[in-house]
Amino acid sequence: MGKVMVIDITKCNGCHNCQIACKDEHCGNDWSPIAKPQPLTGQFWHKVEDKVRGQVPKVKVAYEHYLCQQCDDAPCLKACQSKAIYKRPDGAVIVDPDKCRGNHTCVKACPYGNVIFYNEDLRIAQKCTFCAHLLDQGWTQTRCSEVCPTGAITFGEEKDLADFIARAEPLRPDLNVKPRVYYIGLPKTFIGATIYDPAADEVVEGAAVTLKRVGAGAAVTATTDEFGDFLVDGLEKGVYGVAIEKAGYAPLIMAAVNVDKDLNLGDLAMTPERR
Amino acid sequence: MSENPKNGQVDKTVYRGLCFIGIAADTNSVRVECSDGKILRIRPLQYNEKYPELQPWKIEARGKSFSPSMLSAIPPLTLGYKNRLYSPNRVLYPLKRVDWDPNGERNPQNRGNSKYQRISWDEALDIVVSEITRIKEKYGMEAILSQSDGHAETKTVHAAHGCHRRLLRMLGGFTLQTRNTDSWEGWYWGAKHVWGCENLGQMVPVSNVAWDISTNSDAVLFWGCDPETTPWGFNGQMASRLSYWWTELGIKQVYIAPDCNYGNAVHADKWIPVLPNTDAALYLGVAHTWMVEGTYDKEYVKTHSVGFDKFEEYVLGKTDGVAKTARWAAEITGVPSYTIKALARYWAKKRVSVAIGNGGPGVRGPYSTEPARLQACLLAMQGVGKPGRHQMKMIEWGLYNKKTNNPFPPPKYVPLALAANRGWAYTDTPPQFIPKDMIHDAILKPPISWYGTTLSRDSVDQQFIKYTYPREGGTPIHMIWTDSPSWITCWNDTNAFVKALQDPQIDFVLAQHPWMENDCQMADLVLPSNTMLEVDDMGVESQSAAFSLVFHEPRAVEARGESMSDYEIVCAIAERFGVLDTYTQGKSVDDWIKTGWEHSGCANEITYEELKDKGYYVVPQDPDWKENKAGMLAFCEDPEKNPLSTPSGKIEFYSERLATHFPDDKERPPVPGWIGNGESHQECIGGERSKLYPLLVISNHPRWRVHSQHDDMTWLREIHTCKVMGPDGYQYEPLWIHPTDAAKRGIVDGDVVKIYNERGAVLAGAWVTERIRPGAIYIDHGARWDPIVAGELDRGGAINTITPHNITSKNVAGMVCSGFLAEVEAADLQAIRKQYPEAFKRPYKADAGLRLERVLEGGE
Repeated sequence: MGKVMVIDITKCNGCHNCQIACKDEHCGNDWSPIAKPQPLTGQFWHKVEDKVRGQVPKVKVAYEHYLCQQCDDAPCLKACQSKAIYKRPDGAVIVDPDKCRGNHTCVKACPYGNVIFYNEDLRIAQKCTFCAHLLDQGWTQTRCSEVCPTGAITFGEEKDLADFIARAEPLRPDLNVKPRVYYIGLPKTFIGATIYDPAADEVVEGAAVTLKRVGAGAAVTATTDEFGDFLVDGLEKGVYGVAIEKAGYAPLIMAAVNVDKDLNLGDLAMTPERR
Repeated sequence: MSENPKNGQVDKTVYRGLCFIGIAADTNSVRVECSDGKILRIRPLQYNEKYPELQPWKIEARGKSFSPSMLSAIPPLTLGYKNRLYSPNRVLYPLKRVDWDPNGERNPQNRGNSKYQRISWDEALDIVVSEITRIKEKYGMEAILSQSDGHAETKTVHAAHGCHRRLLRMLGGFTLQTRNTDSWEGWYWGAKHVWGCENLGQMVPVSNVAWDISTNSDAVLFWGCDPETTPWGFNGQMASRLSYWWTELGIKQVYIAPDCNYGNAVHADKWIPVLPNTDAALYLGVAHTWMVEGTYDKEYVKTHSVGFDKFEEYVLGKTDGVAKTARWAAEITGVPSYTIKALARYWAKKRVSVAIGNGGPGVRGPYSTEPARLQACLLAMQGVGKPGRHQMKMIEWGLYNKKTNNPFPPPKYVPLALAANRGWAYTDTPPQFIPKDMIHDAILKPPISWYGTTLSRDSVDQQFIKYTYPREGGTPIHMIWTDSPSWITCWNDTNAFVKALQDPQIDFVLAQHPWMENDCQMADLVLPSNTMLEVDDMGVESQSAAFSLVFHEPRAVEARGESMSDYEIVCAIAERFGVLDTYTQGKSVDDWIKTGWEHSGCANEITYEELKDKGYYVVPQDPDWKENKAGMLAFCEDPEKNPLSTPSGKIEFYSERLATHFPDDKERPPVPGWIGNGESHQECIGGERSKLYPLLVISNHPRWRVHSQHDDMTWLREIHTCKVMGPDGYQYEPLWIHPTDAAKRGIVDGDVVKIYNERGAVLAGAWVTERIRPGAIYIDHGARWDPIVAGELDRGGAINTITPHNITSKNVAGMVCSGFLAEVEAADLQAIRKQYPEAFKRPYKADAGLRLERVLEGGE
C-alpha cells in the first residue's frame, strides 16, 4: 500500500495553486535530508500546463499536471550510479541530496522527461518528494493537494482511495512502471459543429449526428441542441466518417474527417430536401 | 527570498486576511507559518482549527448540496505572496528625484525619465513639511491633491490608502480625487435609471440568489463575466467551486464575450463570441426576436414597468427607421443571426439568469450605460425576480457590509473593522474634488465641469448636479500626494496623465508605496511604506461568503529596510507639524487594534485576550437565512408594496428623469439603445478611425494580478499565460490574437508586437490563440509601466496608456478602458533598441521584472 495522488483534470480550473504552493514550500527552504532548496525559478516539481483545445467558438482548455509519478518500478532509481535514489515505505521516491553526485542518469532515465530537474548550483537532481518531510511531521496532505480549491487533487492512502483509482488511469499506461499518481479525465479528442439552415436563417435543432472511426469500433451518436450545436468529446484520434441527418433535410455526409486534434467543423449549412 | 529557516520548526503562526481590496473588508484568509524571523509558508486557513464545532452553511438543490470548504479557497496571488514581500523592486529607504530641487530647479518635464537618490528619513520629512508649508502659504491647502483611493493590500490601522487625508484636513484642507465607479460604470450610470438598485445599479437584493439559481435555473449567461479571474483578489475561489457545482446540477453555462476567458475555458457549455463592446446590439437583436414572436413576459411588463411602448417603438425601428432585427445585430456583433435567434428562443423558453463580474467593455467601454441598461431591460422582459430569473454578481459578496449584497447564506452579522481604519472613509469628501478619470484634463485643460460626485455610494440624484474644477473661489492644484500610484496602469488615456504629471504647474509629487512601480516613477519624492506581512493590525473576513471572521493580526516578519507603514509615515509627518497627538487621538497602534475589536460586532462573544490568543473568531451563521426572499421576488410579487427606487417605483424602459434632465443627450437617451460611433467616442468598426486601427481591444481585470498589484511575482511570471518571454530576455505582457489576424500581419506566436493608435504605443508578446475571436485582441490591464518614451511608448504592457481619453459619454463621468480601436504589428526590436538605447540598458531580470536599481543614480 502507501500514498497515492489522484488528479481529476475535469475539476482543474488552472489556478496553479499547486504549482505555487510547491514553490512556497521548497524555494528557499531546506528540507534535508528529504530535499535541498529548490531554485527560485526554473524548476517545477508540480507543473501545470494549459492545453487549448478546438477552434472558435468551440474551445476548451485542459490543464495538464506534470510531477514525479513516484513509480514503484522507478527507472530513475535503477539508473542512479550513486545509489542516491530510494523508495520509502509510503511509496515516495526520494533523491537523497547528500548522496546525489549529479550524474544526470536519473534525468535521462525518467521516461516522463519533464519531472526531474538538475540544480546547477547544488549539482544535484531534484524533484517532487510527495512532501515526505511533511508526512514525517504528521501531515496527511501534500502542499499541492492542500491548496487545491476545487478538490481536483486528492492525496491519501491507496486503500482509502480505491474508488478514485478505479475511475482513474496512469498518465502513460504504455510505460508499465507502476506509478503512484493517477489521473481522471485526461483529455482525449473532440469533434463539434453548429448546424444551421441558411435559407430559413435558423439553427437546426435535433439533427442526428453519427461519428464512426474508419476501420475501428462502434459508432458514436449525438443530437444537435437548441443552438444547433453538437460536441462529442472523449474520441480517440483517427479518421472519422461524419453523418448529420434530420428529416426534411438533405443529409450531410463527410466520409473522411481527419481528427488528429480537437476539431470544430464550423457552422455547417443543411439544406431542406426538395419535395 | 527567505533564507533557510532554522530546522524548519514553526515558531510563530499568524492568522490574517491576505487580500487586495484595500478597504478594511478582507477575505483570502491565511495561516502564515514563520520560523526564526522568516516566513516559512503561507497556507489556507482551516476555519475550524480553533473552533472544532464549527459547521459551514449548506445549500441543497436537486438532491445535492453545496457548502464552503473548511479550508479557505485562496488564489495563487495570496499563496505566493512571499514573492511580493521580497520583491527586488521594493523601496527600502526614501528616494528623491535627482533633478528635482525644492529650493531651485524642479524640472517637472523630466518626471518619468529621471533617476533617484537615497536620502535619509530626516531629509525626506523636512522636505515634505517645508513643501506643504510653502504650498499652504502661497496657494492655500486646497492646492494639494490627495490621491488616496482604490485597491491595495487590505490593512486597517495601517490602511494603504488615505491615512494622509485626516492630517491634511487638520492642516486646513485639500482637494480630493474622487474615485469614479471604475468597474461598475455601466450599472451605476445606466442601469440605475432602469431598475434603481442603489447604490451600484447592479441587481439588489441578491439574498439567496445562489440557492434559487441552483434550484430553479436552466441556464446562466455569463455575460462579460469571468468567475476565474476578477473574484480571486476579492473573494477567493468560491465562484469557481459554485460553477463546478452548477455543472454537476446540469445548469447550462453560456459565456458571452469576445474572449474564451478563464471561466469559459473550464466551465462553458457554449461560447458566443461577440465583438468587443457590441453587446448592446446583441441585446437589441434578442429583444426584437421576443417582440415579433411575442415571447416575453407581457403580464409582468404591464404590471411591473413603465415606458415599454417607447422601447418597443425603438426596437422595432418605428422611431429611427432601423428595425433591430437579429440580422441587423449580426452585422454589428459578428454573431450569426441564427445564433442570436436561438439564444432569444432559449432564453424565452427556459429559466435563465445572468452572471456578471465587473468585467468587459459592457461595463468599462465607451457608452457602457447602454449595454448595462439593456441587460436590465431584457431581464425585466422575462420577469426578473421570478424563480430562476436573476442577475447574480460573481464577486463582491457582502459589499458595503450589507447582507443584501450577499447571494449566499449570510452570517448573523457582518463583522466590521471600520473603527480601527485609519485610512479613507466614504464620508470625507472636501468642498473641492476632481473625478479620478478627469485628472489629466483638470491639470492640462482647466476649467472643467461634469455631473455627479462619481462616488459609488452616492445615490442617483447626484448624477444631475453639475460640478466644476476649480470650484468657485477654489484654488488650482500644485502638489499631489499619492499613496495609490497606479493611474498609468489602470485609468483612461494615461499617456495624458503622464503629460499632466510633467506639467510645470505641479511643483511637487509625493508618493508613498512599498514598490518602485508605475506612477512612483513620476514622483519627486518616494517614501517607503511596508506590506501587510510587516505590521501589527486587525481585520475581518467579510466578503468570501464562506465564513465571517475577526482577526487579531500580529506582524509575520519585521519591516524590511527603513520602510514604515502608511499610517506610521503620516504619523511621522504629523509629529513634525506638532499635531501627532491630535492625529492619533492619543492612541497607540495597539489601542486602535483593540478599538477595532470593540466595534467589530464580536466583543460580546469573545474577549480581547481570547481573540489575541486564538488569532481569529468566527461569526455564527444567520439561522434564519432561508426566510429571506430570493433576489427581487418581493418586488415581483407586489410591485406596489415593494417599489424600486426609480421615480415610478417600477422598471423604466423609458426614463422620464433622463428626458427631463438631459433632453438633448444622444449618448444616453431616455430609451437605451445602440450608440456606435458618437460625439464622445469613435471606437467602433465602420468609422474613419477603424480604417487605421481595425482591431477592437478588450482589456479585462487580470488573471495573474489584482489591477496593478502582483506584476513582480516571480512564481506567477513563470506561468504560460502570465508573460511571454521575448527574444531579448524581457518578459512581455501577453497579447491574445487569433491565428487569422496574426497571419494577416505576419505575426507568429511569441513575437514581440506593437499595439498602437494615435494615443501611443505599447509593446507586448503575441500569444496566437483560439481563445480570442477574429477581429478582437485581448490584453489584461495592470502590467507594470516601463516607459521607453514616457507618455508615448511603453515596454511593460501598460495598455491603459492608449485607452480612450474621454469619459463614458457627455454627461456620464465614467471611465473607458476597454472596447477601443488599435492596430498591431510585429515590433522591430532592433530598431527600437537602436533608437532608445538608454531604455534597453536599464537593469532587468526576468524573474521579477523591473528592479529598483534601474531608477537609482549609479545603478547600485
